[in-house]
Amino acid sequence: MFITKYIQEVWGAVRSLATGLRRTMYYFTHHKEIITQQYPDNRETLVLPERFKGEVIMPHDDKNEHRCTGCTACELACPNGTIKVITKFDIKPEGKKKKAIDKLVYHLELCTMCNLCVQACPSDAIKMAQTFEHSVFDRGLLTKILNNPGSKIMDGVE
Amino acid sequence: MMNGSTIVFYLLALQTLGGGLLSVTTRQIFRAAIYLLFSLIGIAGIYFWLQYQFIAAVQIVVYVGGIVVLIIFSIFLTQQTGELLPKQRLGRKVFSALAVFCGFALTIVQIVQHKFTQANSDLSPVTVADIGKSMLGTNDGGYALPFEVVSMLLLAALVGCIVIALRSKPETT
Amino acid sequence: MWSFSGLATGIDAWLTQRFNPALSLTIEMVLAGIAVITLFAVLGLVLVLMERKVSAWMQIRLGPNRVGPKGILQSLADTLKLLVKEGLTPNSADKLLFNFAPFLAIIVAMLLMAPIAFAKDLQLWDLNIGVLYISAVSSIMVISILIAGWSSNNKYSLMGAMRSGAQIVSYELSAGLSVLSVVVLVGSLQVSDIIKSQADGWWIFKGHIPMVVSFVTFIIAVTAETNRAPFDLAEAESELTAGFHTEYSGMKFALFFLAEYVNVFIVCAVGATLFLGGWMPFHIGHWQGFNHVMDYIPSSLWFFGKTFLLIFVIMWFRWTFPRLRIDQLLNLEWKYLLPISMVNLLVTTAMAILGWHF
Repeated sequence: MFITKYIQEVWGAVRSLATGLRRTMYYFTHHKEIITQQYPDNRETLVLPERFKGEVIMPHDDKNEHRCTGCTACELACPNGTIKVITKFDIKPEGKKKKAIDKLVYHLELCTMCNLCVQACPSDAIKMAQTFEHSVFDRGLLTKILNNPGSKIMDGVE
Repeated sequence: MMNGSTIVFYLLALQTLGGGLLSVTTRQIFRAAIYLLFSLIGIAGIYFWLQYQFIAAVQIVVYVGGIVVLIIFSIFLTQQTGELLPKQRLGRKVFSALAVFCGFALTIVQIVQHKFTQANSDLSPVTVADIGKSMLGTNDGGYALPFEVVSMLLLAALVGCIVIALRSKPETT
Repeated sequence: MWSFSGLATGIDAWLTQRFNPALSLTIEMVLAGIAVITLFAVLGLVLVLMERKVSAWMQIRLGPNRVGPKGILQSLADTLKLLVKEGLTPNSADKLLFNFAPFLAIIVAMLLMAPIAFAKDLQLWDLNIGVLYISAVSSIMVISILIAGWSSNNKYSLMGAMRSGAQIVSYELSAGLSVLSVVVLVGSLQVSDIIKSQADGWWIFKGHIPMVVSFVTFIIAVTAETNRAPFDLAEAESELTAGFHTEYSGMKFALFFLAEYVNVFIVCAVGATLFLGGWMPFHIGHWQGFNHVMDYIPSSLWFFGKTFLLIFVIMWFRWTFPRLRIDQLLNLEWKYLLPISMVNLLVTTAMAILGWHF
């Protein structure tokens, strides 16, 4: 019937609005839920969320070895040409030539932190770091070479 | 002798007449509506000055809140901002002035001929309760019948609006 | 007990001794005007800060906390910024009306202060038609918005003004009807009578469910009338940049901003007067001791406490609900609020005739 439907509509509206009001009142009265980070003040104790993406880095182990094979999957995956892989050919002890990276150039000033390169990498060589204080006085400093000088590929990574 | 009350009256009269004059002489239609608004507020001010507060409030509700808003809305829906209205022909101006003068003369003649008698009863302000009682009173001096007739008229206007708005929808069956 | 009427008669006697009646009346009017302007300035500062703090806490943020201790000087800094900013007038605007609109808005807000009883015996003008006066004068408010929207010569402003006009004109109805239900119970439009009738209990308690319903419709309708979210279609920033005050800057913008907040204060004061007893303390039936303790709290504190409670409720609405579409807005008024408040007015009238309220 029309009138029962009308009353049901009004009642439903009041109930759903009350649900929203209860949630905001909860936040209003529970100040420990506040998520604001007062950044420069709490620089020492700042805890960033787990999935925060600051810049692309290439982890090296203590023998100065990385996991990058130079497959250029990251370069292909990048939507705005941030990554440039410069490859060279290593001569293996048994005389065979093997493709490896010379330099992995990363333009931080172009990067949008979309994470597509990390997902594209077949050997988990790059990952996202949580650093975020990137300001420098010279734009050239934002172009980084991710592999350390003299580093080489880890054994067993194809 | 000018006392404060007289000064206030002349200020209100100046606002009313000046607003009306500007409203008919301006060539921007929106400004004309706003000058009309001032004129109407001035009339409400005169009612307040006479301590006839109910009529003053009703003047504001009906004329300012209702009619001026309606006029402004029709200007919004039909006019362009900043356009001047075309200049009127001389004949039309003369004719309008003549019509206004006739109305003015009629009012003045009426006022001059009317014999104003000094009110002897005490001039305590009329309260809303008195107005309500006489508005719905059925005894001598009651306005129940005219009040209901006017509400019938308004009801007819409402029904007419609904009939116009309720264009029969195209058949969906 | 100390009261404001003693102060007022004292000043009046002192002035009439020294000056002639007309001059002393003028001086009294100037004094009242200065008091109202001071109240405006304080209200603007307090309400803007309150809004920012409430919104921050409801959105799990901290809010302003840098200027002054705990950020309490933030709105003062904002005001200083607005004062020194240039008030631009667009080239193709109707310059006279463009500059006039903010003043009309603030003048209307000032006129609305007159019949409000801030405390026992503290009222500028206790006129016979108090409530009608408020609803009449507040209808001039819409005209300042319409003038601002038209004279800016900007399509966003015009759209905002038209939306605002449609909204205020339609929500005035249900606000008026819910005010009427109190007037029916009291039998008077005078503000002091309405407050006096609540000496033994506020109308929201004395009037059973119909009063609660009309209180709720009143709050919803006045939220719409003051153009605040979720009914802020007139200045919907995601659709119309800033609606009717898009072209305004500096102090002219600040006047609109101040008028908005003062209007919120006024409608909440009216709501507190009609439904929560104005400056009347909270009394429970025959608990003499309890009532006596309540009487010791000053009446101005009661009034401002109730008003700020209602202001908080309206802010709570703003930071919880999303904005309505224009068709939803008009549906809510014409299909829900207006029929409900009409039926409610009939029920209240029956209740008043049969004497079913306490």
